[in-house]
Amino acid sequence: MGLEQYQGDVNMCCRCSACKFIPLQHVKSYDFSYVCPSISRFQFHSYSGGGRANIISAGLKNGFNYTDKFLDIVYNCQMCGACGVSCNYAMDMELQEPINELRIKCVAEGKTHPELERVIKTLKKTGAMVPVQGKRGDWAKGLDLKDATKEKVDVLFHVGCLTSYNKDMHKLARATAQILKKAKVNFGIAGDMETCCGGRAYQMGYEKEFLKQAKMNMSMIKKAGIKTVVTACADGYHAFKVLYDKYELKGDLKVLHITEYIDMLIKEGKLKPKKALDMVVTYHDPCRLGRLGEPWIHYKGKKIPGDRFVFDPPKEYRRGTKGVYEPPRDIIKSIPGVKLIEMERIREYAWCCGAGGGVNESNPDFAEWTATERIFEATATGAEAIVSACPWCEVTLSQAIEENESSLKVYDIVELVAKAL
Amino acid sequence: MIDKQKLVKIVGTGMVSDREEDLEKYSSDISFVNRVRPAYVVKPGTAGEVQKLIDLANATKTPLVPVSSGAPHFKGDTVPGNGGSIIVDLSGMKKVEFVDRARRVAMVEPGVTFEELIPLCTKEGLRLNMPLLPRKSKSVTGSILEREPVLMPGYQWDMSDPLACAGLYFGNGEEFRTGQAAGPGTLKDQWKVGAVQKAPYGPGTASLHRLIQGAQGTMGIVTWMSIRCEVLPKMQEPFFSASHDLDQLLDLMSWLIRLRMVTECFILNNTNLAAIFATDMEDYQRIKETLPPYILFYNIAGYDYFPEDRIAAYIKDIAVMNQRIGLDTGKSAGLISADGLLKKIQKPCDEPYWKLCLKGASQDIFFLTIYDHMERQIAAMKEMSEEIGYSPTDLGLYIQPIVQGTGYHCEFNLFYDPYSYTESDRVKDLSNMATKSLMNMGAFFSRPYGDEANWIFNRDAATTDALRRIKKIFDPNHVMNPGKVCF
Amino acid sequence: MALSKEIYRELEDIVGEEFICSDPAIMPSYHGSDLGAVVLPENTVQVQAIVKTCNRYKLQFSAVATGWTGSFKKDIVYIDMRRMNRIIEINEKNMYAVIEPYVITAELQAECFKKGLHFNVKGAGSNCSAMLRGHGHLDQSTSGDDRNHLAIEWVTPEGEIVRSGALGSTDEWFCGDGPGPSIRAILTSAVPPGVTPGVFTKAAIKLYHWAGPPKYDIQGLSPKYTLPEVPKNMMARYYSFPSVEKMWQAEIRLGENEICMELMGFNVSMVAANIATCNEDDERIFKRLNKEKKGPGFFVIIAGNSDNDFAFKKKALEQIVREAEGESMKSLEDPETEGILIAQCTRVTASIRETFRAGGAFSSIPIMSQRDLTIKWAIGAGEAKLPLIKAGHIVDDGGAFFGWGVEQGHVGKTEIFCKFDPANEKAKAAVEKWSKEQGRRAFDESYFALMMGEVSDDIKANMCHYDKWWIALTRAFDPNDVAPQGGPLV
Repeated sequence: MGLEQYQGDVNMCCRCSACKFIPLQHVKSYDFSYVCPSISRFQFHSYSGGGRANIISAGLKNGFNYTDKFLDIVYNCQMCGACGVSCNYAMDMELQEPINELRIKCVAEGKTHPELERVIKTLKKTGAMVPVQGKRGDWAKGLDLKDATKEKVDVLFHVGCLTSYNKDMHKLARATAQILKKAKVNFGIAGDMETCCGGRAYQMGYEKEFLKQAKMNMSMIKKAGIKTVVTACADGYHAFKVLYDKYELKGDLKVLHITEYIDMLIKEGKLKPKKALDMVVTYHDPCRLGRLGEPWIHYKGKKIPGDRFVFDPPKEYRRGTKGVYEPPRDIIKSIPGVKLIEMERIREYAWCCGAGGGVNESNPDFAEWTATERIFEATATGAEAIVSACPWCEVTLSQAIEENESSLKVYDIVELVAKAL
Repeated sequence: MIDKQKLVKIVGTGMVSDREEDLEKYSSDISFVNRVRPAYVVKPGTAGEVQKLIDLANATKTPLVPVSSGAPHFKGDTVPGNGGSIIVDLSGMKKVEFVDRARRVAMVEPGVTFEELIPLCTKEGLRLNMPLLPRKSKSVTGSILEREPVLMPGYQWDMSDPLACAGLYFGNGEEFRTGQAAGPGTLKDQWKVGAVQKAPYGPGTASLHRLIQGAQGTMGIVTWMSIRCEVLPKMQEPFFSASHDLDQLLDLMSWLIRLRMVTECFILNNTNLAAIFATDMEDYQRIKETLPPYILFYNIAGYDYFPEDRIAAYIKDIAVMNQRIGLDTGKSAGLISADGLLKKIQKPCDEPYWKLCLKGASQDIFFLTIYDHMERQIAAMKEMSEEIGYSPTDLGLYIQPIVQGTGYHCEFNLFYDPYSYTESDRVKDLSNMATKSLMNMGAFFSRPYGDEANWIFNRDAATTDALRRIKKIFDPNHVMNPGKVCF
Repeated sequence: MALSKEIYRELEDIVGEEFICSDPAIMPSYHGSDLGAVVLPENTVQVQAIVKTCNRYKLQFSAVATGWTGSFKKDIVYIDMRRMNRIIEINEKNMYAVIEPYVITAELQAECFKKGLHFNVKGAGSNCSAMLRGHGHLDQSTSGDDRNHLAIEWVTPEGEIVRSGALGSTDEWFCGDGPGPSIRAILTSAVPPGVTPGVFTKAAIKLYHWAGPPKYDIQGLSPKYTLPEVPKNMMARYYSFPSVEKMWQAEIRLGENEICMELMGFNVSMVAANIATCNEDDERIFKRLNKEKKGPGFFVIIAGNSDNDFAFKKKALEQIVREAEGESMKSLEDPETEGILIAQCTRVTASIRETFRAGGAFSSIPIMSQRDLTIKWAIGAGEAKLPLIKAGHIVDDGGAFFGWGVEQGHVGKTEIFCKFDPANEKAKAAVEKWSKEQGRRAFDESYFALMMGEVSDDIKANMCHYDKWWIALTRAFDPNDVAPQGGPLV
């Protein structure tokens, strides 16, 4: 691990700017050509994936000089991975990973962002990434759900910090529970024993805190004998499925996002959305369910000396193509009366909602600006609602809608399914 | 005043004239510019002589007025702006260096006329992208330097076409070759390795050929030019589409150009089409009566491979377009056949020159414009004609798409009797009035001549200033055709 | 080094606090230069004010749009044109688009396709500014070099605004020439080191008819985006020929008969780079194609405006190729590959694969001139690459070059690459030596002269002393010497 391993990759950057845009083959309009919120908002090339690669390349060569501007660049990024997907259409080099590692390096060297420090302080104190109001399991009151830490269940529903502690988001947890119950799934929750997955701490650069959370979770899971975790939060999904695997903590644990699980239940005939909802919707791919949600590739190899940037054994790059794209779309299509219209930037090249990388804590204006861009794109499709599959997306998009006085509605996919059952 | 012997020493005894009748020929032309008599007319025979003349002019601060075409002249650019000028008559420089079929290029000296070059091109299976019916004495080089519109807009990729490269002496006497011709080495060195002088851009960043076009001889003197030629078709099929509604024709024309279906393509009104074919006024009236107001002419060409297929395909496709627009297409318009017009426009005009045939003179008002403005501009011109007492139906109109359809050359031809003060004053007034008024309606007078040039340059002070800075570099002593353009 | 506080504040007043920076943190992403400041103007007025400020303090500046590699003088003011990224107009009837410098090709092309139009896309790729001067895959039917610009809005090095052609007189963009001599002579933009001094803030470029679909229905996943089917009125083929002479004959005839929308003289190494999804794949495909090819070749796309037009073009294409003893490479006729190539080569989205992907760097000798002449030179330059390939310094492309006819073969473009790892000093030195030697040979043998980088005095003298005029012109417009040569607008 560490930033140094990516020196060859960042040196490869040819400043072509592909990282700023969706893969060029897919550019369908002037309005929705960009993929990187950071360069789109802050304009200096330094904020693009390529600019960051240039900075890392120079830093590894000459040392890092942590000026305020440097840290501004580092922390104004949703770590959404879009730059890497676009870059890797043409180039064989890692881009997102060195950007992650730079954050980790900054935090390790004490070059932190005060707002993120505050969040991590909360995490350390409460095991949550959001302000704690009440208890983690309050949302489940009266639902009579199994306690997975005490009872044998097939599936652990990991709810996540935002859904657990933000009362407005309780509806998502309740809808998820309702769906799972309806399908007669033997599931449980960890209730007050649940703790943060650590994914957002990782995004913020706090590797140690992430690992602490990851280990706590895996210890609980192992102890409870849980084989399958379902999350309804894309950040949680990414943490359990990708990051835990990256750090070799995941073992055999099966990790599914709720959209994958519901899709499976529908296809197995265990769930059948019957009620017509009569609405035209568009679907927003959460970054960490989509492009960043694809499995981690454990690679060990060496660059072959010579003219080409090739490795022995050949290196497979994570291009975001094996993320969860079809299940949510299939679910939406299975709901009677719902018509899905796609936005221009979808799947591996979807525009971020703005919440990632700690940006909605470190620079809420930037998060809202990013979400507003997405709202415009969704509105341009003619859809009446934007559907996502992550509470962080829902919160951020809702704030942008309110701020822009848009009539667009926001739903999490579980809300639609619950309504249709 | 310069010593005649100095000129004789450069060009030889018979090539310098200060005879009254020779000077008189260059003192005025058909335009309304003031009469100014030159001091001498010299006829250099070689590029070296041209250079020496420029050197002498610089040494003595004597104005030079380069002229390559024979009379009659129409625009005032060859009439000296200052007294004491020397006319540098290049019409004797008639060498055709080569016509190269494979690279589609010909190289000529400035005295070579269309009439002289066309047969040589035809022999090689090539043709020129011609202006509309140049007079017999018109220099090919002169026409291209003037940026005259060409009949095949699909082959005019750039405004500078069909200029490939040029050899010239700038106003300070230094030699320069534009584009690919710049080097390495001499032209002969280049020919040895198979280089012809074709690519127009460069050398380096600048594309200085653009500077000598539209300059009316104010930047220097061109001593040779290579010209982009087109392939001679194996088969051709010309057509007319005629209408009362100009917009319909413009619509069709824009698609013909956009889809590259046609070669020669332009619109004439009935006045001009009749004038082109008429032998006298009576003939003109007879032909004109049979013609609809506006006539679009287009030609479909087939080349070496399956020419019939190409022509048949485009005839079918154009029929569909005509149907959509509501136009008829045919092989004739009134008494005029499309084949007849094609034949006429693929060579220079027979004598007498068509613009002089009707009344003895023509004042041409021409500008560049876009599709969106043209109908309004034409209507305004008609209104102004009416107002000033020039019958709008006598106005000649020629619309030539330029640069692959990115704009249009719009030309009004005001035929008049030069010996009638009333007529010539009326035409002069109309010309002045129309220029000012059309400028305000978006007409771009890209090639300003005569008195109107001042108003035109006054509209764009920044470009004028830039041009003056450039001029100072290439002609620091201001010897090249002073008083013209904005210099 | 940062600017003085006074100057910084003046520039800040122009663009706003958010859009100026001299922090060392950003410099690595600006070509590793030690810039005085980077400023991001929003409009022409701001550009003008920046330039005037630079004149007042005799500060040098460079304006850059998308900007690949480049090197810039220390302490200059770097005008990053990123915020000037508007499409001002797409004029269908008059076939032009007006754009600002940071509109990238992919954006403009997407909007043009919807209207049945397209334009000359530079080989640098659709990630680059659409305003560039240059050449690309579609030159055959959309011209190239400086010939696609119409009117240009130019902030001179002194900060005056010159609007060329019809723009200055009538506010219309359709023509950049006149009144009188055309200042397009010097407004030729962006091929370093000879860049027109000052800043182009808007330009009109020519548009051409697009016979393809209003948008491609791209399917598949990165890095393999495919077309579900080849549009019915389009066809792509790669033909290889027994000799360069035969290839050129076919190229000329295709041009004269106006058959191809695209005639791109790719060598098979570039075809491989286009369709390969990674470096390893690239090497494999190249080896396969290299065996399959008959000799040198080119890639064509034909597009019919109607069924009749398409049928004629296809028939003529096949006949011309047959006569020149050319053969279509069967493996590339596979509809999936054909679709990929049509989509990528009309949108020019794989240039990065062709250039940087392999080793991270490439060296190129591009020549815009008479095609048959430059091919003669390129054969030798290709042969001279073979020892470098053998030594493992550069990527094996079989010693190939590439190029194509421009404007239906009237003129041409030929280019030759060496792809290498820039961290490999030996390779770098070998490529530099090759480049120098081949450039010199072109001049010594009177083919052409390269005018990029350092140009020797004897070359300048033998090229009509072009440099002298250019220097005089730049001095006339830049009396304070604030606009240094250099800096790509790519």
